[in-house]
Amino acid sequence: MTKQEMLEFAEAAVKAAGTLDAVAVLTESRNASVRFGQNRITQNLDVFRRELQLTVGDGEKQATVNSQKIDINALPGIASEARGLLATSVPDPEYMSPVPEGQVYPVIEDAWDESTSQCHAAPRMEAVGLVIDTAAENDLLAAGICRMGYEKIALATSTGNLVAHRSTSSGLSFTMDKGLASSYIALNGTSWSELNTNSAITSVTEQVKLDEGAEELEPGDYKIILEPQATWNLLMFLPWVMSARAADEGTSVFSGMEGKKLTGENFTLSSSLLGGRPGNPFNGEGLPAEDVVWFDRGILRNLPCDRFTAKKTDRPPFFVPDTVDMAGGHGTVEDLVAGVDRGILIRRFWYIRFVDQKTLKLTGMTRDGVFLVENGRIVKPLKDFRWNWRPLELFSNMLRVGTPERKAAGMVPPVVFSEQHYPFTD
Amino acid sequence: MKQLVQRAVEILNDIGVDYGDVRAELIRTENTDFRNARLDDCRTVETEGVGIRVLVGGSWGFSACTGMNKDDVDAAVERAVDIARAAGSRGKVELAPLDIQQGVYSGPCEIDPFEISREDKIALLHKASDEMMKDPRIKNSFAQLWFEKRDRIIGSTRGDLIETDLVFSQPALMATAVAGGDAQSRALQDGARIAGWEWIEKSGIGSWGEKAREEALMKVLADESPSGEMDLILDGLHLGLTMHESVGHPTESDRALGWEANMAGRTFLDISHQGNLRYGSDMVNFLADNTLPYGVATWGWDDDMVPGKKWYTVKNGIFQEFGSVRETALLMGKKTSTGCCRAMNAQCFPINRQPNFYLEPPENGVTPEDLASDIDHGIWIEGRGSFSIDQRRENFQFGGDLFWEIRNGKKVRPLKKVIYRSRTPEFWGSLDGIADKKYFRTMGLLTCGKGEPMQSARMTHGASYSRFRGIEVGGGK
Repeated sequence: MTKQEMLEFAEAAVKAAGTLDAVAVLTESRNASVRFGQNRITQNLDVFRRELQLTVGDGEKQATVNSQKIDINALPGIASEARGLLATSVPDPEYMSPVPEGQVYPVIEDAWDESTSQCHAAPRMEAVGLVIDTAAENDLLAAGICRMGYEKIALATSTGNLVAHRSTSSGLSFTMDKGLASSYIALNGTSWSELNTNSAITSVTEQVKLDEGAEELEPGDYKIILEPQATWNLLMFLPWVMSARAADEGTSVFSGMEGKKLTGENFTLSSSLLGGRPGNPFNGEGLPAEDVVWFDRGILRNLPCDRFTAKKTDRPPFFVPDTVDMAGGHGTVEDLVAGVDRGILIRRFWYIRFVDQKTLKLTGMTRDGVFLVENGRIVKPLKDFRWNWRPLELFSNMLRVGTPERKAAGMVPPVVFSEQHYPFTD
Repeated sequence: MKQLVQRAVEILNDIGVDYGDVRAELIRTENTDFRNARLDDCRTVETEGVGIRVLVGGSWGFSACTGMNKDDVDAAVERAVDIARAAGSRGKVELAPLDIQQGVYSGPCEIDPFEISREDKIALLHKASDEMMKDPRIKNSFAQLWFEKRDRIIGSTRGDLIETDLVFSQPALMATAVAGGDAQSRALQDGARIAGWEWIEKSGIGSWGEKAREEALMKVLADESPSGEMDLILDGLHLGLTMHESVGHPTESDRALGWEANMAGRTFLDISHQGNLRYGSDMVNFLADNTLPYGVATWGWDDDMVPGKKWYTVKNGIFQEFGSVRETALLMGKKTSTGCCRAMNAQCFPINRQPNFYLEPPENGVTPEDLASDIDHGIWIEGRGSFSIDQRRENFQFGGDLFWEIRNGKKVRPLKKVIYRSRTPEFWGSLDGIADKKYFRTMGLLTCGKGEPMQSARMTHGASYSRFRGIEVGGGK
């Protein structure tokens, strides 16, 4: 659908609701991907979706209907169902009317690439063919996914706000294996053309060889070097648990910590709508996004805050606009390794879960490449290990921060942390 | 819906694909969520669409659309065929043989939950939520009733045509207590069943509010875990997750083939281990059962249209067979699929998923207390908590939802922040006691994430209380 068609449909849904309050969100997406494993294609997809979410309210209670009947003639039925549901609902002491009229939304043009939105099959097949053929030529087994697609969203409120946004995304991530040795890379972009697939294939092919003959890590003290992918795996837990409401309820590590120093001064975390990964200009309620600094040189400055909590506690209503950047410095992974006398280089984490939410203690495993570093050089591959760490403690002890790279939802750097004692469990 | 499927199948036959199936699904979901004793979400979600899977020259093509519009389905058929052709010969797909399947399957549902008024559901949750929030130290509570009606029709170019209708019901409830600078939760965790409102009544959610409140308070005020090598008594709800991670995932055939190496991971097992690898003690019998009454993977047929089957994954401690789909069965050296092919919905490509499976309980009259009576120092764990396992499914660490210290055969004090670590074959090898089958309890899981693009899938696991010897326990503070 065109932008105009989507806006008109969302507006028509609000009108059809016929209730005091209404918010309609219409999404359309196309996702095309090729998945491969064992040097063969295992999935080959091209999926098209449309969905309407209609939330209605009468000033004290609300109800929501989601439907995939995207047809102007279906709107009366969807609206009728929503009103029927509303009639059975009960008053909500936290009821919030839709955002007032006159909201000003940021415009983010850089989120769209026309060619990527077309989801042509040939570039995917070419890239996957190159990965598979290179793996086979080197007696390796490749597995991964190559994807491209788009999402369009239009939102209308009964208070008169009307806005649309569209974005494209692309990605190529894969492992190559030789026996128990493996390596991995993940490329993410807005357009397909910005992915450097040839360089990625060369890098992963070479890295597998370095991982052969992994040994157990000996107990002792080691600096920890994270490649950007591992930094992202760890960092992503922060936006997940950052919540003003949870902090107020006392269930979060951030309870009573706003304005206090929680990490080292070289740790800054922010969301920038026009950053390395373009953000979403509004949320599902029609609240405009804005640039926010969450941690400023170690000090917790802001927490995401729903509109009710914001009103109750006199905070600004913030949300994470699907993009988070960790401030970096200068230097590649190789540069960081060169400055470490004794440490462990980690490419990627796996299955990170909470051990204790109140103290934000996490557990996880390494995978697809762990190396012992001595005197600025990788000296041998190591077997995967388990760790139980508190990321806020780690980010309080960063010795060096490298140049950020784009990962799934933002820009993150490679990092060197001060010594940790192995075994990394209690 | 049936006409739409049959029409798309006819088009595929006219095009002349090597194989094609058309899967139409209409899924109606109803949520009623309470947070902190207020109605937070009152919602219905209707997901409908058609997925078209074709094989051309050994390569898959899959396309899907939302809605049941004829033109959108036609466009999806065209896209599926186009991308299968674009893949050339890189697929190499060969499907295990299967007789033509035709029929209708309806899951058990005594009382249609969609016929119960929303007012009654709200009243039930309101009461449970108020009960949880009676103590001011309960700072957060959640209560939910979730229902889904899933109608599915699959037809194929071979002449298969199956129709299924399933109703899923799930109660959920959790209280979080804050005291002494700590926060601890207690939750109702039995999960979902293919059943109607009768499961909500049987689950006891109406009386769980008080239990969750009191046990969350007991937990937040409890001592922290001791550390060291100890014996464990684990209940069925806890073991449901342990077996899911350390038995269900490693015995998926696509992992053994390396197809999940980039995302969900690999497995410590290989094809040659079928029939000979010792997975656990002689007491360990894992029975996979996609015919299990109320099991959330009991769908009549999987998305390959393989009928629900029952088989041993582990028998007398020995690993028997990987769970497979038609595409992987031959690669695993088997003649037929075990029927483990399922997609999240019509807009997803069906992949190899875990079946329902459980630790077979004995009829021995043994009580959980009998098991504990033989323990000098150990921990009694109920329910699920923290969980993590390596991508080869060997090295794991689990918590729980409720903990008691055992001294000299008796439960002596509640604990919190207990975690234990082990490795898969050693852990199941340390099992030396299982309580009678009357203590058997299942958990129906709706959110097993796997695949790229990520899909969630459903399966039911279960066990009676079981005893494990000499496990490493550490504090989770």
